[in-house]
Amino acid sequence: MAYPHRHENETTTLLSRHMGEEKARHLDGWLERGGYEALRKAVDMEPDEITGVVKDSGLRGRGGAGFPTGMKWSFMPGADDDRPHYLCCNADESEPGAFKDREIMRWTPHLLIEGCLIAARAIRAGHVYIYVRGEFFPVIRILNDAVSEAYEAGYIGEDILGSGWSCDLTVHIGAGAYIAGEETGLMSSLEGRRAEPRVKPPFPAQHGIFGQPTTVNNVETLSAVPMILSNGADWYRQWGTEKSPGTKLWCCSGHLNRPGNYELALGAPLRDIIYDVCGGIPDGRDLRAVIPGGSSTAFLTPDELDCETTYEGLKEVGSSLGTASPIVMDESTCLLKAMRRIAHFYAHESCGQCVQCREGTEWVTKILERIEHGEGKMQDIDNLYDLCEQLTGRTICVLADSVVFPLKSSLDKFRDEYEAHILRDTCTAS
Amino acid sequence: MSGGEGMSDGLHPAVAGSQPYMLADRQGSASRDEPLFESEEGRERLEKILSRYPSKRPALLPLLNYAQERNGWVSGSAMEEIADALELTPAYVHSVATFYTMYNRRPIGRYLVQVCTNISCHLNRGEEVMERFLQETGTRPGETSEDGLFTVMEVECLGACGFATVVQVNDEYVEDVTPEKVPGIVKELRDRAGQGGA
Amino acid sequence: MSEQNGQKDTVTLTIDGVEVTVPEGTRVLDAAQRAGVVVPYYCYHPGIPTRPAQCRVCLVSVEGQGKLQPSCVLDAQDEMVVHTATEEAKLARKSVIEFLLVNHPLDCPICDAAGQCMLQDYAFETGQLESRLDEPKQVMGRDRISDDIMYFADRCIICTRCVRFMREVAEDDALIVAERGHRAYIDTFPGTKLDNPFQGNIVDICPVGALVHEDFLFKARYWDMDSASSVCPGCSNGCNVAIDTKENQIVRLKPRHNAEVNSYWMCDHGRKHLVMANRGIRAEVPLLRGEDGELRPADWAEALETVAERLGEVSGGRAVVSPHDCNESLFYLRRLLDRMGIDGGSFTVERGEEATLSGFPKLKLRADRAPNVSGAEIFGFERADGLSGPEAGAALVVLEERLQGAPAELDDEAFGEDASYFLYLGSRISPAARAADAILPVTSFAEMQGTFTNWEGRVQRFDQALREPGIARPAWMVLSRVLELMGEGEAVLEAADAFERMVGDTAPMEEATWASLGLKGAPLAPTAGSGAGGA
Repeated sequence: MAYPHRHENETTTLLSRHMGEEKARHLDGWLERGGYEALRKAVDMEPDEITGVVKDSGLRGRGGAGFPTGMKWSFMPGADDDRPHYLCCNADESEPGAFKDREIMRWTPHLLIEGCLIAARAIRAGHVYIYVRGEFFPVIRILNDAVSEAYEAGYIGEDILGSGWSCDLTVHIGAGAYIAGEETGLMSSLEGRRAEPRVKPPFPAQHGIFGQPTTVNNVETLSAVPMILSNGADWYRQWGTEKSPGTKLWCCSGHLNRPGNYELALGAPLRDIIYDVCGGIPDGRDLRAVIPGGSSTAFLTPDELDCETTYEGLKEVGSSLGTASPIVMDESTCLLKAMRRIAHFYAHESCGQCVQCREGTEWVTKILERIEHGEGKMQDIDNLYDLCEQLTGRTICVLADSVVFPLKSSLDKFRDEYEAHILRDTCTAS
Repeated sequence: MSGGEGMSDGLHPAVAGSQPYMLADRQGSASRDEPLFESEEGRERLEKILSRYPSKRPALLPLLNYAQERNGWVSGSAMEEIADALELTPAYVHSVATFYTMYNRRPIGRYLVQVCTNISCHLNRGEEVMERFLQETGTRPGETSEDGLFTVMEVECLGACGFATVVQVNDEYVEDVTPEKVPGIVKELRDRAGQGGA
Repeated sequence: MSEQNGQKDTVTLTIDGVEVTVPEGTRVLDAAQRAGVVVPYYCYHPGIPTRPAQCRVCLVSVEGQGKLQPSCVLDAQDEMVVHTATEEAKLARKSVIEFLLVNHPLDCPICDAAGQCMLQDYAFETGQLESRLDEPKQVMGRDRISDDIMYFADRCIICTRCVRFMREVAEDDALIVAERGHRAYIDTFPGTKLDNPFQGNIVDICPVGALVHEDFLFKARYWDMDSASSVCPGCSNGCNVAIDTKENQIVRLKPRHNAEVNSYWMCDHGRKHLVMANRGIRAEVPLLRGEDGELRPADWAEALETVAERLGEVSGGRAVVSPHDCNESLFYLRRLLDRMGIDGGSFTVERGEEATLSGFPKLKLRADRAPNVSGAEIFGFERADGLSGPEAGAALVVLEERLQGAPAELDDEAFGEDASYFLYLGSRISPAARAADAILPVTSFAEMQGTFTNWEGRVQRFDQALREPGIARPAWMVLSRVLELMGEGEAVLEAADAFERMVGDTAPMEEATWASLGLKGAPLAPTAGSGAGGA
């Protein structure tokens, strides 16, 4: 296993402070590092109090959507609702380019457990399900051990820390489906069904797993909760911006000298992340394109790198922060091939319910393949543009919309690449 | 529900359904078709898993995982046994099992080699790594080599993109794989198989 | 919440400019139907509980909402303004058809669904007539998912109606979606076949030609078929059906919706049962036994005059009827028997195992495998385990409209030998009829109009689906003329008139009119024993 790289600036290592420390995985080592102090505080607080702190902190969901976490928790029914409530931790990390939740779970599983329990208390849940993608065996082993330890020591289960409050936790693993990372797809999968997303309304907070009020949160989101609770909302807001406070675990991949995970305050220019933090592109090559937030976000060109890496900043340049997973492509990259490979992923992962996604993602892939093999036509570009429109806003979930972000931006910004393949059967990569 | 008694397999019920099933060194190749719940161990595991959910259907994926743990793949008879245990129909179990890519519907080789070729690995010669594995193991995509040692397939993002190209061999992640490293990896696996039991 | 009528449990919304008030909880698609606005759909079906909203065809524009909404699951709200035919909605619908046609083979020339295919229909409606596809289509082939149903995977649009019918209505979770994405298809558990008494319904509800009955394959084009509303004669449930015929042959039975009897469904026994209406040798002309003791053909005038004259000389005897005889025929027979001084009469019923459609339990394949047991009982005939022949020297009258499964006793040529006068009215000339003094050819239910009374006492009309064989006529018409010739009332030529006479004289039915029965029948309270008046 590889270790994450450390960035010189240690002031933003909040979540990642103990990554690389083998002892941090185990309960005794974790307690030495101040573990479960936030939970101690939480069990003495009222649920709505906890939600209030998280709301004030401005923490936003780190699974890609960026929805304010405190607000999401407040959608859950209040104290007068006597139905069982559930928390699902979304550890199904499958977005191409993202590899941060894996790091959190394999180095600091107890941090995640603590975050889950605090969140469970805030939403009045009695059971937490951590849904981990099935492929993550090394991670699952570590997490399983940590859960067992935590149960044995009384951090999970009945009468947690003598508070009178009880909460259970189960690790539930998936079996290879990107769409199980979609909120309602995850709930379907957890219920022992095909991971097919559901129509909303009803919303999970009213009708989630087993028909009960449920909140689904990402690993990184939940892992930020303990420190927010310990140090307060204002403390968390010293990093990032007004609308995008806090730090983020960046997942940098592609053509980089130092790919890996880096925890940074939100807001740094993308250029700095690529060139300073990740050491730029190997062999001094030029950057051709970068997808900033995992494959479901729009391409950016070299002259768009000065954007602020916040939710609002990336939206301004027509892309999105997503999971903060820049995939860097240098000048040698055939963007057509890259786009084809991206489209292929979505076609493979479509659950198949909605015809636009089921047929459309595969159709797009086939068109791109045909262009790649030198049999493209100029009409294909127009057709691809039109397909982008047909794939947007018409389906139960946004998988179809997700292929449109890279596809449309590649058509807009790299039309010359498409034309070169179509008209001259050559590539504009160097 | 926080158990302590009767845990003969040593597993806390909270993690009974999430046991890794691609054991790093399987004895022999993964192609048994034994009953799942006739042994005491199987029944204990079933009970622990069932205890974590308010109804039976949610235990389906954990039980399919268990079938892979026992036999290395999910056979028709395993589906029937699971259906029976959960009061579902075999057709329903088949519907769920075929939705997810990790459930092997055929017996596989001793080493399941899964090569990621998604975008970050594609940018780092992932397709070449895949080709190389096919050459070195003498097999075709998705198929098992003649000697029963290797099943090689292309997969989607494995979630370790910064360390491309990422290859999963059974339950281990092998990262930073280049085409040049492939012969060495295959050789190491062959050696391991030779040293292990039959 | 509507204040207009003081009730708090309705909502009023506007759909395409039409204001409509519906109960709270109604979905926009259903509200639209009430407003007379047609919104197309595939995955929704009124007889299947779930609405997955996955076909995406029913998307509509709602003022105030940015995205198009699936109307099949959208709750109607007060003051909601819905537009089903905005440019955006129309384009979305057209787009669904285009995507469906990407891998759908253009099988129309060889597909049984052509002419009754919802994909064809919506393709024309939305104007999606040209293809932009430049790629080879995916080929998945076909599969026999049961002994009599074939699945053409390439035609399937994955609406999952069949899966959900089996799971929720038949409550037999045997049909599922396998794989995912563009590789998905419908399947059973590998190595097994679908085997459910109600599985034929999945062919009816398939919007395209993906599911096809093997015994209908390539038999008839939709536009070559005629259709008659009828009642299934397979058992006493009385499911409403449509009989599709081509060139005077029955090619298919489909259920008609009746919320009180069979919902949208019927059973496979009923579906298969009726093909026997096409086969066999029929009684086509009246036959009279002459002085020489031989049966010879006669025309109706001679036959009826002869029969009337001979019956006038008869007193007492036995009657044998069939639970397949229609109410009107039994009514006139009872009047004739009264005139002849013959009381009672018997019938036998074939019995079989029951099967209930769990999701709509009123639909049952019932143990009595005949459509008019109740009718026969109302007109004073009794169920018997076996049939006794005539007493020596007494008369015998047999009325057998049934097409197959006649009782074994009638296979015995000697059955009616001892009768002083043996009158046989039947659709087929069974062996026992060879001893009759007169054979009058009558139509089966498929060849006339009439009514049956089902297990529950519901009287339902059936229409004529086939031409009368030869010069056979409805038994009620024949018997009414015989009675007229004997001085008992007027002959009738129309089923409606026969019906009116019948209900006028039959206590449990006196409220009904032919028109009021419509195509769905009406419940009546049957009372045991004969209600037939003599007046």
